[in-house]
Amino acid sequence: MLEEQIQHERRPNKFVNWCREWIHQWQLQSMVIPGIIFMVIFNFIPIYGLTLAFKSYSVTSTMADAPWVQFQNFKTIISDKYFWQSVQNTVGISAIKLIIEFFLPIILAILIFELKWTPFKKVVQTITYLPHFLSWIILGGMLITWLSSNGMMNQVLNALGISVHTNYMLDGNKYWWIASLSDVWKEAGWGTILYLATMSKIDPTYYEAAEMDGASKLRQIWSITIPEMTNIISLNLILSVSGLFNSNLDQTLVLMNSQNQPKAEVINSYVYRVGLTQGDFSYATAVGLGVSIISVILLIVTNQITKKLNDNQSVL
Amino acid sequence: MKKRAWKILATSLLAVSTAVVLGACGSGSKKSSSGSNDNLPDSPYKVSKETPAWKSDDRKNNTLTWYVNADWWNKEYGKDYITKTIKKDLNLNIKFITGDDTKLNTYFASGDMPDIVTIGDPNSKVARTAKQWAYPLQDLATKYDPYFYKVARKDTLNWYKLDGKSYGYPNYSNTAADYKSGNILPRDAFIIRKDVLDAIGDQDFTTPEGFIKGMQAIKTKFPKLTPFGFNDFSGGNSSLENVVQDMLGVPITTKANKYYDRDLDSDYLTWLNAFREVHSDGNISDDSFTDDSDAFNEKVSNGQYATIMMGSDVNHGTNLQDFASKNPNSKYVAINGIQSTKGNEPTLSQAGISGWLISYISNKTKNPAKAIQLFEYLLSDKGQMLVSFGEKGKMYTQASNGQVTWTKFANNVQLNEPTKWQKDYRIGEFILFGHDRYKALNKSSYVEAVWQMQDWGKKYLKPQFKIENIAPDPSTQESRALSAVQTNWSTTMVSLIRSKDKAEFDANVAKYKKFQKDNNISGINKIRNEKIQENIKKLNE
Repeated sequence: MLEEQIQHERRPNKFVNWCREWIHQWQLQSMVIPGIIFMVIFNFIPIYGLTLAFKSYSVTSTMADAPWVQFQNFKTIISDKYFWQSVQNTVGISAIKLIIEFFLPIILAILIFELKWTPFKKVVQTITYLPHFLSWIILGGMLITWLSSNGMMNQVLNALGISVHTNYMLDGNKYWWIASLSDVWKEAGWGTILYLATMSKIDPTYYEAAEMDGASKLRQIWSITIPEMTNIISLNLILSVSGLFNSNLDQTLVLMNSQNQPKAEVINSYVYRVGLTQGDFSYATAVGLGVSIISVILLIVTNQITKKLNDNQSVL
Repeated sequence: MKKRAWKILATSLLAVSTAVVLGACGSGSKKSSSGSNDNLPDSPYKVSKETPAWKSDDRKNNTLTWYVNADWWNKEYGKDYITKTIKKDLNLNIKFITGDDTKLNTYFASGDMPDIVTIGDPNSKVARTAKQWAYPLQDLATKYDPYFYKVARKDTLNWYKLDGKSYGYPNYSNTAADYKSGNILPRDAFIIRKDVLDAIGDQDFTTPEGFIKGMQAIKTKFPKLTPFGFNDFSGGNSSLENVVQDMLGVPITTKANKYYDRDLDSDYLTWLNAFREVHSDGNISDDSFTDDSDAFNEKVSNGQYATIMMGSDVNHGTNLQDFASKNPNSKYVAINGIQSTKGNEPTLSQAGISGWLISYISNKTKNPAKAIQLFEYLLSDKGQMLVSFGEKGKMYTQASNGQVTWTKFANNVQLNEPTKWQKDYRIGEFILFGHDRYKALNKSSYVEAVWQMQDWGKKYLKPQFKIENIAPDPSTQESRALSAVQTNWSTTMVSLIRSKDKAEFDANVAKYKKFQKDNNISGINKIRNEKIQENIKKLNE
C-alpha cells in the first residue's frame, strides 16, 4: 500500500526529471530536429497522397477535389491481366535474385576474409565492388551490346567453334535469368561489405583455440564464422524477403523491349507506365499501395520466422 | 514515463504534419473550378484591328513566366538576337521554367500557375480540361489584340476549340492549305545507298517479291552491310507501322468515315510477311529490334544499312549528312520502294493540324494583355521570320517570291562558329511558335543530304487530320484497354517479322485479333468513331 503511494507521488517527479534531462541534453536533442523535419516532409506528408488510390483523380483538379470512388481502382486491378503478369515477373525475378544474391555474398565474403595476402584481397574487393557504382543506363547498354547478334557473348561462342547469331535480348524466356544474373554480378561484391565488417569483429582467439584443437578451415568457418554472423544474415534475409515485390525500375526500363516485355514488365515499370506515361495516377497509386501492404505483411512474417529460429530474439 | 513523453512528441508531430497537410489542401481548394472571364481587366491602351497591340502598349517592365513542359528547352532569355528583339519590341521580360509532367502536376495541384503553359500532348487530361485553367484566346484577342485574328490560322483555332472557344495554340500546325501549297515537305522515304543501288543492277523494291529478291542481291554483293534497316523501337513501333502504312497508302478511315484498323490491312500484312521472309533470309538483323536511338544513329552515320525505311529523315539529317559528307558516292537516296500491292499511291504524313507543342495562357495571369500580344507577335510574319531566320539583311535576304537565302555572313557563322550560331543568334531553336511554312522558305533549313528525299515524296503528302487525337480519354476503362492492345501489338508486330513460317505468322495475327476482341476493341472503336465525327465537324467549320 505504502509502496504504491510512494510510486504514485513519484510519478510527476519522474516526468519532470525526464524533461529536465531532455532540456539538459538540448544540444544533442536538437540535432535530431533536421531528421524529424525531413521525415515529416518527405515521409509523413506524402502519405496523404495515398488517398488518391480511393479517388478518381485527374491532374487538373486538386487532390482534395477529386471524387471518391471507394475500391473501384482495386477492383480494376484484380481483372488487369498486365498487372498480374508484372507481379509474376517481379516475384520470379526476385526469387532467383533472392536465392543467388542471398547466398553468394556470404560465400564471397568468407572467401575474401580467408585471403591472407592483403594486396590481392584489396584488388579482389575493388573489382567486385566496381559494377555497383555503374548506373543501369551504362550497364544496360553494355549488356544489350554484349548479348546482341554480333556481341561479345556470341563472339566468344563462335571462337569456341559454336556458330550462333542469336540476339538474346529478344528471347523472353531468358529474360528472368539475364535480369537476375546481371543484378547479381552488379551487387554481389557490394553485398559482402556488411559481412566482412561483422567478420572482422570476431575474436581471433576463437580461431587460435580451434586451430589448437585441430579444427580444419572448413570446420572453423562452419562452427565459428557462420554462427557469429547469424544476426546479420537473418537481418539480410528479412530485408530481402520483404523486398520480394520490389523490382528494379532502372534495369527494366533499359533492358525491356517489345519482344521480351511479357516477361520483363515488373510492378515498378508497370506503375511508371500507367501512372506517369498514361497519366492514370489514381490507378497507379492503388497498385503501389497494394504492393506496399503485401511487402509489410511479408516483412512481419519473415521477422516472426527468424525470431523463432533465433531464440525468440528479433534482429529488427 | 518515457512512453508518455513519446506520446506527447508523437502527438505534436502528428499535429504539425496534419496542419501542414491541411494547409496544403486549403490553398488547393481555393482554386476556382470554372474559368469565368467576364472579370478581365480593361485594356490599358487603345485597341485597334489594324495594328498589332504591342505597338500601342507602352507599359514598361512587363514580366511573364512561361512554363515549358520539356526539360530540353533552353531557358535563356534576352541574350541572343531573337529574344533580345522580343524583349525590346514588347517591353517584356520572360522567365522560362522547364519541367516534366510531375512538375506540371504540382503546378496544378498548388493552384499557383505560371502565366503561359506549353505542353506537348493534345490528348492529355491537362489539354482536355483547359477550360478550367486557361483563358479563351478569342476573349483575350477581342479585348486586347484583335490583330491576333489576322495572324492566327482559322483552321488551327477551330481545331483547338472546346465548346466554341480555343484555349491553346500549337506550333508546327499544318493546315489543309499548307498541304496543298507544297510549302511543307515530307519526311519519310525508302532510302538506299547510292553505291549499292549502282552495283546491284536492276532491282524492283516496289513489290514484296522484288523486295525479297533485292535484299538477297544486296547480301551477295555487300556481305558486310545489313541489307534492310529501320528506325529504332525506343519511341514506339519504329518506322514499320505508320510509315510503312503511309508508303502503302493504307486508308485512314473507311469510306463511311469510320475507324479503320490499319494494322490489320491486308496490303500491310502482305508486306509484313515479306519482311518476315527478308528476316528469315538473314537480311534483317535482330539487333534492329533492340537498338536504342543512339545505336541506330551510329549505324546510319556509318552507312551500316544498305537500305533503310526511314521515318523522319529530317530528325536524322545530321547522321545522313555525316555519312554523305564522308562518302559522297555512296550517300543515301530515296527511291520507289515498299508500295501498295493494290495500286494505292503513297499518302505520306507530316505534322498534322494538331501540331506539336501547345501554348496556353493561364487564367491566373495578371497581365493577359501582354500574353496575347506575345502570341500575336510570335505568330505574325515578323515574329515567324525573326525566330526562323534572325535579323533581315544581316543573316538572310528574301527574294520577291518569298524564298530566303542565308547571307555570306550567316553561312560563315553557321559553318565555322556553331556555338555562336546557337548562343548569339539562336536560329531555328526558338520553336514554341515555329511553323514549317516559314522554315521551308529556306532550303538550307534542312541539311543537303535530305533534299532529294524531300523532293521524292513531295507529291505524296496527304493530311490525316481526321484521325488525330482520337484515343479514348485517359483514366477510362477504354484507355486502359487500348494501352493493353497497343502493348500487345508492339510485341505482335515484331513477332510477325520474326515468325519462322507463314503458318506461325498467321497464328500470331489470329492471336492478336483475339486479344483485341478480349480487350473491348468494339468499345474503343466506338469512341474513336465519335471522335472522328467531331474532328470532321471541326474541319468543316
